[in-house]
Amino acid sequence: MKTLLADGPSPLHPSEIEQFGRLAGHWATEITYHPADGTPPRRVSGEWEFGYALEGRAVIDVWRWPAPADLPAGGRTQDQECGLCVRIWDPRLQLWRFTFHGTARGDVVQMYARQIDDEIVMERAAGATLVRWTFGAVTADTFHWRNERSTDGGHTWHLDQEVHARRLP
Amino acid sequence: MAAAVDLIAAPWNIGLRPPAPGREPGTWRAPNALLAAGLEARLGPAALVELDRPPYAVDPQPATRVRNGVTLREHTLKLADAVHTTLAASRFPVVLGGDCSILLGCLLGARRGGRCGLVHLDGHSDFRHPGNYDAAASLGSAAGMDLALATGRGELLLTHWPDVGRPLVADDDVVQIGDREDDDTPPVTRFTAQEIQRTGVADIAERVAARLDDRALDRVWLHIDLDVLDERVLPAVDSPGRPGLDFPQLTDLVAALITTGRIVGLDVAIYDPDLDPDHAYAAPIVDCLASALTPLLTTTEARA
Repeated sequence: MKTLLADGPSPLHPSEIEQFGRLAGHWATEITYHPADGTPPRRVSGEWEFGYALEGRAVIDVWRWPAPADLPAGGRTQDQECGLCVRIWDPRLQLWRFTFHGTARGDVVQMYARQIDDEIVMERAAGATLVRWTFGAVTADTFHWRNERSTDGGHTWHLDQEVHARRLP
Repeated sequence: MAAAVDLIAAPWNIGLRPPAPGREPGTWRAPNALLAAGLEARLGPAALVELDRPPYAVDPQPATRVRNGVTLREHTLKLADAVHTTLAASRFPVVLGGDCSILLGCLLGARRGGRCGLVHLDGHSDFRHPGNYDAAASLGSAAGMDLALATGRGELLLTHWPDVGRPLVADDDVVQIGDREDDDTPPVTRFTAQEIQRTGVADIAERVAARLDDRALDRVWLHIDLDVLDERVLPAVDSPGRPGLDFPQLTDLVAALITTGRIVGLDVAIYDPDLDPDHAYAAPIVDCLASALTPLLTTTEARA
């Protein structure tokens, strides 16, 4: 599979590709789940690796938890996630098409994304719920990601999950 | 005021639900019906731009609860390009729909030239959004959501736009005229169908002009959903109702708005030739538009 990965953004849409492309690299993550029932948050470690793909027209990532140091002796179990995200800039729609394929539970998630101010907002509508995954506070070495849900059309949002990421050397 | 008119044909039906299983709404035929009834000859446009007909999908599209939501975004961007091109050439776009979802592309094209208000002439508020109906129960139809989407309510897919962001128009820059509904009314300046019946078109036009003046809105888009007409004078629409305007009242109202000099373009939506097999209503619609735009055409001729 030498043709999957790319060294940099496509010259066709370089500024758009860089919205996610700046995340290229390997990150250590602290993942916090905020249960809707008010029970205390739950935290796990993880790792997140981003890179260019498909001749630089896409940015993909691999999302995994737990982090290598916290893996069981026998290796990652079936219910511990190792998932693939694919993001492709669609010039016809002037937004990103996004797909996540999880291997732990077979999750397949589709979303659309745009840069809004200094954040990248991904969204999907599922039933009466809007779900947003937002990349914010992006620096060279850190970023914050949040997974929020609205059941009132975007008027209010509940934080389901967040990630603090730190770039690995 | 613009120096000439461009006609932009937007043969859309993607914002409407199927009228029956396996059938598509017929609004996409309206531009051709109006042109066949002589609209081009009456307006003498500098250009006739004919956009492609978007494909209609019965099944839901991925990650959206708006029917044809992905297709609608793609074609909204194309329509916006056409509207912007006309405005950049200092001409007046007359967009022939199609269903009311064409409003998004019209406003987006107009907004590329700066702030732009909206006069939303419609028998309904078109203000459905995920905050006021059960999006899980059925797919949303953008033709009933266009004012909500234009004011930034709804999915990112149809509310965040290149160059403009969100919203396309602020609530305070919207004037809604002619709706007959009392539920979930939008937080905009509003003159109902019942109020028009009480006070008359001339009074409403004066109050709209005053509102535009108060808001210092020099650029305003005019959306004409033909269901603002009473169903007794135009039944060939998706959701007919009463009370409503008659053709002379609509002509007078649009002419009065054009005369303010603030209207930069307009769209005409929701006439469905499938509900009018002989196209008997195409001629009065053409008469109405041509008469209402006379102040604009007169200005054009005077400057020519």
